[in-house]
Amino acid sequence: MIGDNPWLDGLLRLLVIAVAIPVAVIVLNYLERKVIGRVQNRLGPMRVGPYGTLQAVADTIKLLTKEDVRPHSADRWTFELAPYVVVVPSVVALVTLPLTEDLFVRNLALGLFFILAVSTLSIVGLVMAGWGSDNKYAILGAMRSAAQLISYEIPLVMAAVAVAMVAHTPDGRGTLDLVQIVDGQGRVPYIVWQSLAFFIFTVAALAELYRQPFDIPVAESEVVGGPFVEYSGMRWAMFMMAEYVNLVLLSVLASLVFLGGWNWPLGNQVGPALQVPLIVLKTALFILFFFWARAILPRLRIDQLMAYSWQVLLPLAFYQIIANGLVLVYDWPDVVLGLLSGAGTVAAAYLTYRMVRRPAPLRARVPAAAAAREVSV
Amino acid sequence: MLGILKTIAATLGIAARKPVTVQYPTEKKQLPQRSRGFPVLLWDFEHDEPFCTGCQVCARYCPTDCMTVTMQDNPKYAEGKSPRKKIVDTFYIDYARCMRCDICVEVCNFDAIVMDNTWRSVEMSRFDRQDLIMDLEALLRPSKTGQLKDPFREPMGVAHSGWRPKAEGEAKGGEEE
Amino acid sequence: MAAPAPEHRHELETIDLYINVGPQHPATHGVFRMVLTVNGELVEDCDPVIGYMHRGNEKLPENCDYRQAIGYHDRTDYLAQFNTEWTFCLAVEKLMGLEVPERAEYIRVILGELNRVASHMMWVGAFGTDVGFFGTPFMYAFREREVIQDLFEAVTGERMMYNYFRPGGVAWDLPDDFEEHCRYVIEHVRRGIDDLDALMTDNEVFLARCRGLSPVTPEQAINWGLSGPMLRACGVRHDLRRAEPYSIYDRFDFEIPVGTQGDVYDRYLVRMEEMRQSLRIVEQALRQMPRNGPIMAAGLKRVLRPPPGEVYARTESPRGEYGVYIVSRGGDKPWRHKVRGASFCNLSPLREMVVGNYVADAIIILGSIDIVLCEVDR
Repeated sequence: MIGDNPWLDGLLRLLVIAVAIPVAVIVLNYLERKVIGRVQNRLGPMRVGPYGTLQAVADTIKLLTKEDVRPHSADRWTFELAPYVVVVPSVVALVTLPLTEDLFVRNLALGLFFILAVSTLSIVGLVMAGWGSDNKYAILGAMRSAAQLISYEIPLVMAAVAVAMVAHTPDGRGTLDLVQIVDGQGRVPYIVWQSLAFFIFTVAALAELYRQPFDIPVAESEVVGGPFVEYSGMRWAMFMMAEYVNLVLLSVLASLVFLGGWNWPLGNQVGPALQVPLIVLKTALFILFFFWARAILPRLRIDQLMAYSWQVLLPLAFYQIIANGLVLVYDWPDVVLGLLSGAGTVAAAYLTYRMVRRPAPLRARVPAAAAAREVSV
Repeated sequence: MLGILKTIAATLGIAARKPVTVQYPTEKKQLPQRSRGFPVLLWDFEHDEPFCTGCQVCARYCPTDCMTVTMQDNPKYAEGKSPRKKIVDTFYIDYARCMRCDICVEVCNFDAIVMDNTWRSVEMSRFDRQDLIMDLEALLRPSKTGQLKDPFREPMGVAHSGWRPKAEGEAKGGEEE
Repeated sequence: MAAPAPEHRHELETIDLYINVGPQHPATHGVFRMVLTVNGELVEDCDPVIGYMHRGNEKLPENCDYRQAIGYHDRTDYLAQFNTEWTFCLAVEKLMGLEVPERAEYIRVILGELNRVASHMMWVGAFGTDVGFFGTPFMYAFREREVIQDLFEAVTGERMMYNYFRPGGVAWDLPDDFEEHCRYVIEHVRRGIDDLDALMTDNEVFLARCRGLSPVTPEQAINWGLSGPMLRACGVRHDLRRAEPYSIYDRFDFEIPVGTQGDVYDRYLVRMEEMRQSLRIVEQALRQMPRNGPIMAAGLKRVLRPPPGEVYARTESPRGEYGVYIVSRGGDKPWRHKVRGASFCNLSPLREMVVGNYVADAIIILGSIDIVLCEVDR
């Protein structure tokens, strides 16, 4: 509590977040380009500023000075408000995200639920962007991206809920409070007991962030440009900012829920001087993994993407919840939890393997009418 | 999942390698001696005139017709200072058309034209297409100023031009046609 | 009286959408246009439109003598230049009955096979981008291409349009440090192929996109006139270097990779393996090459005047069978000059290959054919 006035305290903390977000976006943009450059055996940005550190700043200036184009037939308010509807929920979700026991704006007892629920609202913004652009390809892209995001939101939430079910708290098990979830991981982080939930969470997070292999909505190649096709300048930058804020949000969430946050392995009693670097390190690991996945994985087709979510991730998420429920009811030790989860992870790997090796769908017969049709050029 | 894990392991190793970027223009890779830039004319320091006599063989063999050459009587021959009866008068090469095929160098009877193998010949961007039409003075400049240190002049195209370095005591001229 | 209500329909009425995968591609294949008729996500019809890159590559050499025409072949298939120059030189040598000296033959083999590696590298890079990689195979492939192009620059002076082969041999001899430079290149490229292999071959997502996509049976392949890696991926073991050995290919020991299904993944595997086999050939050629010797057939005049006649010469270029047909009437310029481009024949069955697949896969199938628009349109 800074000062004695809760209003002042809240305001100052919000200010910290408001300042941290653009800085984080710029830093992450630069780091992403450097990391991907290194994976590709090249240097990345080097010219603008020492070692290219000011490259993202230069890009921001360029985007700010671009002409703000709006299609004439676009639905004005839908088109113009869409970027904000995409950005604001992610930023609001940051409000309840604790970095250490005391470093948050407001910690809610429903923290995990609040974060996941609010960040889902960005999907509405995407559909608004696609519809408001009055461009047939934008609508197609927006529908596809909405379908992808909704399909992957469900396993994401279920994996997080599965962990929340078995989180150790002072009065029994099960809590949605993020600080308590982290406190319960003093000895063993939940990745050990809940490896299946971790796998599902990571894959679903990749899909939520539009990263390879799930980046159909933002794929510049192929036929449709995606929902962002009519945006330019700062409005487009807002979408990119939303992507990076989401990245930070999901990485911090993953390190809190699965890797033990600031607690493991040093424990709860060390001061913030050690806890903050610890959680930053864990978040950085996740962020690095997301950057890496972008560099080395190609893109899945939309039907393969949807099939993977509904036919692999969702049943496995159900299995994880049921397994967790059984452990809770019969009060089995945590090792059983870990074993059941590990078996689920092996099943996940096998199912992925099976899906990949499946032969391609049968080719449709060409209708006679189409064959005889002459396309005039 | 194993394939992706193998990919992650392999790329971790690759990311640790030294990057291959050459940060042009602060660093430039070294061009080999045979590097083929645009054609330039050579300056004969001994007689203080170009080697080129304006015989137009190169212009005739150019596939893109990018050269225009005219010939004049050599005033230095009349004064006895030079063995060349004729000397080049005007020589225009349109670098925008030249495809650097090296045929002009191969067929030249006087070994007067070479491909410029310096960076100057690679950095040939101009704002106006007309600036890419090089006249005689621009073509002689790299050789005269000494920028062109070591052009590639292997006895080339022996079968086609019949040219070879003159042996000691051999009479001038006499190519097969 | 109100009009009778329309019949209750159980299905949605849909209209097919025409999608123009226009001459400007995000994917790097050149100016090629496909008009896809799409029902939802399935392609029902595909109409390829070519001709955007027609530059008169067959007609213009009829105004050039036999040395000037070599530059045109460089530019016909601008990724496999040595192979195209070689075909043209073979055609003229056949017409004139020239005997190419040993050392020149070995130089041609080494440079031609390294060019095959460079061309396949370019394909792997562009194909990776089509499949959706964020540029990683592109960067690895181009890193290897740079190394090979540096070698070519050291030999000929040019990185792309070499104009180095001549009817009767090659234009000039190799530099003194060629052998060690070439060994360095082979080792570097081998490591690069391993990098690409680790990145793509077992990658599950890559497999999910490419495995089983648009399989082609051997009968279909032969009927459609496919050649090169497209044909070999279907299971037909036909390689011109073995079937009709030209130059000195009968002296080398190399395998011909053959696929099983003819799908996109098999084409990828065939090209990767071909790169390794090409490096094998280069190593053997380096060992067997005579240290000194003439590099040009003896007794050639300055201006080549082949006797009247016609000739068709073909070689195994990285894309397939590249052929040059020349009719000579005794002058110093060819009377009729025709090029059989491998990409043109490989591209013809595009409609059969693409119809019935999804739109996203149509791009991948087009990418796997490995076309060079200049060869298609000439």
